[in-house]
Amino acid sequence: MMQPTTDKSSIDSLLEKLGEYFADMPASELMNPNVLTMSKDRTLWHTKELMRIRKISGVPIVDQKRRLIGLVSIEDIIVALENELIGERIEKHMTRRVVTVAPDETLTSVVAKFNRYRFGRFPVVNSEGTLLGIITKKDIIGAILERFRLMYVHDERRKSALEGTTEWFEKSLISGDYVEKDSANFAFNIDYTDVDMVGIGAAELKKFLIARGLDEQSVRRISIATYEAEVNVVIHSGSEGTIYCWMENGKTVKVRVEDTGKGIENIEQALKEGYSTASDHVRELGFGAGMGLSNMRRCSDKMMVMSEVGKGVVVEMIFEISGGKKDDSERSN
Amino acid sequence: MTVSDLTDKCGFTLVAGNSLEAEVNSGYVGDLLSDVMGNAPSNCVWMTVQSHQNIIAVASIVNASVILLCNGRSFEDETLEKAKSTGVNLMKTPLSSFEACMKLFEAGFKG
Repeated sequence: MMQPTTDKSSIDSLLEKLGEYFADMPASELMNPNVLTMSKDRTLWHTKELMRIRKISGVPIVDQKRRLIGLVSIEDIIVALENELIGERIEKHMTRRVVTVAPDETLTSVVAKFNRYRFGRFPVVNSEGTLLGIITKKDIIGAILERFRLMYVHDERRKSALEGTTEWFEKSLISGDYVEKDSANFAFNIDYTDVDMVGIGAAELKKFLIARGLDEQSVRRISIATYEAEVNVVIHSGSEGTIYCWMENGKTVKVRVEDTGKGIENIEQALKEGYSTASDHVRELGFGAGMGLSNMRRCSDKMMVMSEVGKGVVVEMIFEISGGKKDDSERSN
Repeated sequence: MTVSDLTDKCGFTLVAGNSLEAEVNSGYVGDLLSDVMGNAPSNCVWMTVQSHQNIIAVASIVNASVILLCNGRSFEDETLEKAKSTGVNLMKTPLSSFEACMKLFEAGFKG
């Protein structure tokens, strides 16, 4: 006998698991803003064609100011086909009492709505009733995967790590293993708080990587990312810090930069390009463009930031090395 | 083009020449260090108005061939010292960054 099918689809159980980690993500980040709409004056046949061609299962109906006035779902189309009403105007047959989501509603609340109403999609509507986007389960998974590209710890691991303060500094953010700092191939103590000194650590790491025979392109992105992390320690932490680097089997380089300083108040905000809390003095020197973390993200293949106010920051970055050996044309200056 | 071509053909003043034969095959203008970090290509001439010593670290990490200080500004002493120890080339000009780009263009520089 075959097993009876489980009552929970795989996408639902995936959502449930991921939901725990991204509980606070707002609908505005989960939604697809490029939503196809129609006016109430078209016919259901038009809606059916749009759905068929674009492979979508529901179309929000909006007025001229893009305010949501209804929704036509695939169920509405089936009913219309059965009753031979497909040539009639949308206005007469659309669902008018649409369950919507506000842009600041959290993932937890959105998932609860999916479970409660069993609809395939929820339009996202602001307080004026204007349609901002639409959320399907697929959009949620997509938004979460995008978030994973920059692995960002804001979950149970983070909480438990922070409770035992020392623990946090002993474990890898990405793999969860204990970090063997003694085994690092490179370690540099950022033992200065003077902005003028910034870059020494990154320059040392660069020298080390070149000596290890890493290709120029990889050296460049690792040095840039490390420089930015070093800048952050010096400008923002108010403490000293350390740069560690491990070269794993010649294919992966891991860099970890940690400090025990002020910490980042709002990681979400800090990760946005252009956001900076740098002082005017430091800005005059050309720092504080708000691009540090995004440079680090761009240069690395995986990156994770963990911080708690008053306890410090740990940044871990993984670099996959594609090029292999350095070429011999490297300049000797 | 090489670093010494920039002095000969564009009239920029050489302040610290540590590797004059270094190739220059692109350019970048920027005063925000992270912007330069993120976007300046290798072997470029980096035009900026920043003169303090942090520019040396930036230039050596992105492999800029030369820093061209614009608007008639002068390098700080610490910057000159660091340039010497790291081998970064330094030049200056009374021109603005934009005018310096035009000068490069007139000299046939194809970045």
